[in-house]
Amino acid sequence: MKKILASLLLGATLFSSPLAAQDGPLRIEITEGVIEPLPFAVPGFVPESPAAASQAEQLTRVIAADLTGTGLFREITADAHIGQITDFSAPIQYADWKAINAQALITGSVGVSGNRVTVRFRVWDVFSGAELGSGLQFVGSTDGWRRMAHKVADQVYSRITGEGGYFDSRVVFVSETGPKDDRRKRLAIMDYDGANVQYLTDSSSIVLAPRFSPRGDKVLYTSYESGFPHIHVLDVGNVQQRVLEQSEGTMSFAPRFAPDGQTVVYSLEQGGNTDLYTLDLASGNRTRLTNAPSIETAPSYSPDGAQIVFESDRSGNQQLYVMPARGGEARRISFGQGRYGTPVWSPRGDMIAFTKQNNGRFHIGVMRVDGSEERLLTASFLDEGPTWAPNGRVLMFARETQGAAGRSSLYSVDISGRNLRPVRTPDGGSDPSWSPLQQ
Amino acid sequence: MQTGTKISGIAHLGLIAIAIFGGAFRSEPLPFEVREVSVISSEEYAALSNPSRPPEIAEQPTAPSEPEPAEPVAETPTPVARPERDPVPPEPEPVPEPDAPEPALPPEDAATPDVDRVAPEPVPTPPQDARPDVVEQTEVAPEEGADIPQEAQQATAPEQATDRIVTEAVETAPIRSPRPPRTRPTAPTPTPVAQAEPTSEPEPEPAPDRSTAVDAALAEALAGPAAEPDAPVGPPLSAGEKEALRVAVSQCWNVDVGGRSSQVVVTVGMSLDQSGKVVGNSVRLIDSQGGNDQSVQTAYQAARRAILRCQKDGYDLPAEKYAQWRDIEMTFNPERMRIK
Repeated sequence: MKKILASLLLGATLFSSPLAAQDGPLRIEITEGVIEPLPFAVPGFVPESPAAASQAEQLTRVIAADLTGTGLFREITADAHIGQITDFSAPIQYADWKAINAQALITGSVGVSGNRVTVRFRVWDVFSGAELGSGLQFVGSTDGWRRMAHKVADQVYSRITGEGGYFDSRVVFVSETGPKDDRRKRLAIMDYDGANVQYLTDSSSIVLAPRFSPRGDKVLYTSYESGFPHIHVLDVGNVQQRVLEQSEGTMSFAPRFAPDGQTVVYSLEQGGNTDLYTLDLASGNRTRLTNAPSIETAPSYSPDGAQIVFESDRSGNQQLYVMPARGGEARRISFGQGRYGTPVWSPRGDMIAFTKQNNGRFHIGVMRVDGSEERLLTASFLDEGPTWAPNGRVLMFARETQGAAGRSSLYSVDISGRNLRPVRTPDGGSDPSWSPLQQ
Repeated sequence: MQTGTKISGIAHLGLIAIAIFGGAFRSEPLPFEVREVSVISSEEYAALSNPSRPPEIAEQPTAPSEPEPAEPVAETPTPVARPERDPVPPEPEPVPEPDAPEPALPPEDAATPDVDRVAPEPVPTPPQDARPDVVEQTEVAPEEGADIPQEAQQATAPEQATDRIVTEAVETAPIRSPRPPRTRPTAPTPTPVAQAEPTSEPEPEPAPDRSTAVDAALAEALAGPAAEPDAPVGPPLSAGEKEALRVAVSQCWNVDVGGRSSQVVVTVGMSLDQSGKVVGNSVRLIDSQGGNDQSVQTAYQAARRAILRCQKDGYDLPAEKYAQWRDIEMTFNPERMRIK
């Protein structure tokens, strides 16, 4: 039956195709486009009272900076605007914005009442003459106005790109001061854009590799407080910290939370051999995942918690491996030249970011979780320790310059390899870890 | 006498002497190749050069020779002589049928057997068991217990042949177009079949479903395009005109190569007015491949922006072909731009 129908249909198609080519609508296929930032206009948000004027102006600037910082948007500055937005509720004169080729328009208003600030905004698709999504309002404290600006920008970003935002997020990192031979390190936390830096530890002991918990309320890190590296956990809210793993005669490092936030995977060095273990935070039970004479370290969970990617030198040099989260047979995924380390699974689940060292240069790269489609995004004297933005679209990492006066600082790069830009921090920075989007 | 005249005289005399007596000094004759040549009659030559000519055309038809004895004969007759030009392979002698009247030309509309071989006389299809041969003979099987032993003999028969070469023009030129009429074929009326008493066996798939599906597919394919009332008329757009439209839209299609929308192919439909401008709200998503709802929506919005932004005062399209570009379906395929 199916064969008869298929052959009849094939015959009918062959017979009718010359006719069909001339009938129906004109068909065109577009395969080449342009890659350029999308021009947008964000006229100053309308202050609902004179007291809100300065806040309105600051909010608008942060929103514009968030969007342009992605490399996907280009702001058309106010001096080029033809139209003015003086009333948030007034209809949009699209022709004014089409004339300056603004493809997206963001309008908003800011009201301040006591220490409460209210932000309302709308996003417009200028050439379609329609609103993108619907109007939204955020209410918060005046102190948190930056977060409100980030939330507005996240909404705009999400409505235009179709992806989750990442502006309302924080980064914990190691702040570094002093020369290379006498570097002082302490944990610091900041907004994703480098604002609002706060220090979580003092610089009395060396701290390394801080990692956010899935909810962003805790930070795991490695401290040399006892003279040997051991894992600590720190509560971000009250800056209380405690030692998590300090067995006698061992060293523990490279911790990372599982997506459930209840388990920690880390490396434990015992008798000269380093293997991967998990620690259940509730029970304190420790489980061994690997048992090899080689060094296994830098574990990172897949977003579904089912697998772990880690680095190991079991093949002779440092390569990346994936194994089930409960341990078991590991599958090598990196096969290129050079050494691979510090793998991090993307929050989207589709990629793994890593540090690669080859021919005396360091790279930040990404590959599919099966090791295919490896792409190197950066190259420098020393790039290392990538961390994913909450939307899996951007990577932040540390770059150190050459020489005795070399300084480590933070950079971000889009996974397309475009838009490499420094993240401004008061001092040097290394080992960044990006938080999830704040609630 | 002058010296020159003497020399000339002597030389001439010498030459004459060689001419007369030269034969005495000739060496052995050079060897030469001898070929035997058979002489054939003009009739034989004519028969060779035009073997397929029907015998009745000849003024003096040659008397049919006696049938050869029923002995195994050579598969191919030896040619009598090899003519200088590339010879036409000699046909075997016509099968002698002494009693048969001269083949009359078949009537114009006579059905011609569909056979490959052309012979002076048409030969019917041989029996299946018969081995092809120029001479027909019956099968002889050794009879058990016979007094006189008989030699086994396989049945042979002449190959099937026709006396005319039917050209393609004569044979296949259709009188009417083979294309079926552009009308919806009437569904065959299902003949009521006398059903046996219902049994416990599972019923077969109902036949009407099949015919309906086939009919619908056929009818759509055959009658569909012709039945479409809004089919554009006039000449189609040239490749250059299409390319210009493609380039115009491409310039405004901004692809977010790192985004998930770059995994999506969307097809967007639109209608244009006569000035080449997009009719308000006519842009619509027709089809998409890949990605989730969110990324499809993003890809569609990017495509819509490209179409609307680059139209400016209307796409530059030939006004006289408006019917051809009034409705457009544009597919935006970012595959070549995607980062690998």
